[in-house]
Amino acid sequence: MKLKILVVDDEPQIRKQLKIGLNGHGYEVITASNGLDAITLAAQQAPGIIILDISLGSEPDGIEVCKRLREWSNTPIIMLSVHDEEKTKVTALAVGADDYLTKPFGMEELNARILAILRRTSGEPSAAQKSELRVGDLHIDLAKRIVHVEGEQVHLTPKEYELLRLLATHPGKVMTHRAILGAVWGPEYGDMDHYVRVFVNQLRKKLRENPARNVRYILNEPGVGYRFVAIE
Amino acid sequence: MYSRRAIVAYVLAVVSVIGLTLIQLPLRDLFTIANVTMVFLLLVVIMAVTRGTGPAFVTAFASFVSINYFFVQPLHTLLVADPREVLDLIVFLVVAAIAGRLGARARQQARTAQQRAHEQSILYALTRALNQLTSETEIYATLTRLMCDDLGAVKADLLPFTTEAAADDLTTHYLLLQTSEHVYGTLRVAFRSSLEEPRLDLLNTCAVQAAMALQRIELAERARKSQQFEEADRLKTALLHAVSHDLRTPITIIKTSASNLRQFGDTLPATERVEIAETIESEADQLDRLVGNLLDMSRLKAGALRLSTGLNSLEEVAGDVAARAWQLHKQERVKIVFPDDMPLVNFDYGLLLQALTNLVDNSIRYEPPESAVEIRGEVAGKEILLKVVNHGETISPEMKVQIMEPFYRGREGRIGLGLPIAQGIIEAHHGKLRIEDTPGGGATFVIVLPAQEKKYLETQDSGG
Repeated sequence: MKLKILVVDDEPQIRKQLKIGLNGHGYEVITASNGLDAITLAAQQAPGIIILDISLGSEPDGIEVCKRLREWSNTPIIMLSVHDEEKTKVTALAVGADDYLTKPFGMEELNARILAILRRTSGEPSAAQKSELRVGDLHIDLAKRIVHVEGEQVHLTPKEYELLRLLATHPGKVMTHRAILGAVWGPEYGDMDHYVRVFVNQLRKKLRENPARNVRYILNEPGVGYRFVAIE
Repeated sequence: MYSRRAIVAYVLAVVSVIGLTLIQLPLRDLFTIANVTMVFLLLVVIMAVTRGTGPAFVTAFASFVSINYFFVQPLHTLLVADPREVLDLIVFLVVAAIAGRLGARARQQARTAQQRAHEQSILYALTRALNQLTSETEIYATLTRLMCDDLGAVKADLLPFTTEAAADDLTTHYLLLQTSEHVYGTLRVAFRSSLEEPRLDLLNTCAVQAAMALQRIELAERARKSQQFEEADRLKTALLHAVSHDLRTPITIIKTSASNLRQFGDTLPATERVEIAETIESEADQLDRLVGNLLDMSRLKAGALRLSTGLNSLEEVAGDVAARAWQLHKQERVKIVFPDDMPLVNFDYGLLLQALTNLVDNSIRYEPPESAVEIRGEVAGKEILLKVVNHGETISPEMKVQIMEPFYRGREGRIGLGLPIAQGIIEAHHGKLRIEDTPGGGATFVIVLPAQEKKYLETQDSGG
């Protein structure tokens, strides 16, 4: 059965192109032009994923719709935003959105996000349940807590390993600074974002990332947090 | 109605005559009538000079009566025995009247001159004060202060008046603060007594001076605004120019590509269709970048750039820029060189990413194909340096200034917004952007940012 996707955007041409693109990727698409229709459709049609524009040009806006949906629904939500909206992105994640995408974006990018969400929510064993992970030259043995890069074992401190494990077991998912701090350091470290930055920096060096050659495992989400690359 | 001072003067006139009479009475057998009248005449002149015409006349008349009653035979009557003494008395009265009149006039003139001098000094002080003021409220404050302190007003306030109508026992004047083309306001001044003509003139002159000062401020403000408008206008013209040239190009490419796909999509080979679609995508990206830059530029120019700063890693920014360069060029055009102990710095991630992207994009354009642009992080005392090192041609000193100008067009005729935007963003962070020569040829952009205090940067890997 095809996965049903609800697209919510006030711009008809964007609805149309998203519908064409998503149909092309093999999904069934239903659309809504405002927040109230979106909530009704989500209740009646039970879509598998909701793609929701943050600024709908009418009340309720995307953030509010997301909040209301989360009162009764666990359906994954991908928010669409524009540049300069870092705070809004963090808000969207805080009210229950699963991911966001910045306009303008390509259809491949959107599909990659959808696939990442499906992998995380589907019945097949998720990254968290596997005993080992492999991305490019990086190999993580979760059972033995051993990390190899380019075939060589890398020594990580316990915090560095915790950080890597947290990110790597949520591939393709954006993790906010706060969520990372809470999980690795504990909730009392609430706003010490720079701890995360310093450790991510150290970790990247040990993982021998080289952005200039596109060797990256941990991606920056400016003003929001980090995202581990999607594992195919 | 007589003022208190006038009544005092008249009383003084009478009292002084009585006093002088009492002093001379014991001596009246020694003095001749001429002696007595001379002494009284002196009193009349003194009264005229110090107290004015009225008191002088009263003194003269009282003296006349006193002489007649106490000093002229027969004593203690107003009769005069010797007809020659009648002549003496009449001459005394006439001389006293004339002397009184002359004295009083001299006194009046001295007073007027003094008052003029006082008024001149008030006006001079006011003009000098007004010339140094730069705001309307200061001018109004100075004017009302002057009215109360120097001109003896009880109250002075501006329309709209804050207090109710002036009390009945006060004389109120309304001064219009106006120039030939504009009325700036109305000043209400209340005095205890009504004003004489010269005082009123002075009041009006002050009002005119204040109005002129208000006009001067208004004109200066207008000049400043029009200069601002001119600046904004120049930017707008340049922006419109840029929009028509640089935005139209990608739009044209997108439009022709799309119409080609629509018309010939069925007959074109698959590879060519993909190529056309890729062109549309990359031109859309180019358009997105341009719009972003134009937005940033106008925000910078309008001073509307809001920073959301936090402790961030410059190496992360460099990584994002390098990864983007790889995606654009599909080869290693950038090399990142950072020390292990590079500290975090306080900055707005998105904006600095934009600034560094612009600098690196520009540097890659002039980088020889066999080498790579370096992004270097360095610590220099209390400053953090982020260098973008290019190995192309060295730029002349004049060019270093030119390329920082908005809308400067480089040798590829591209719209020059990247560098001035980078500079604007860095300056908004209290940093500096320098252009240095790369040893061996090329240009090095140096971003200088203030370092953070160490205490914010401590992190402990407690688990060991």
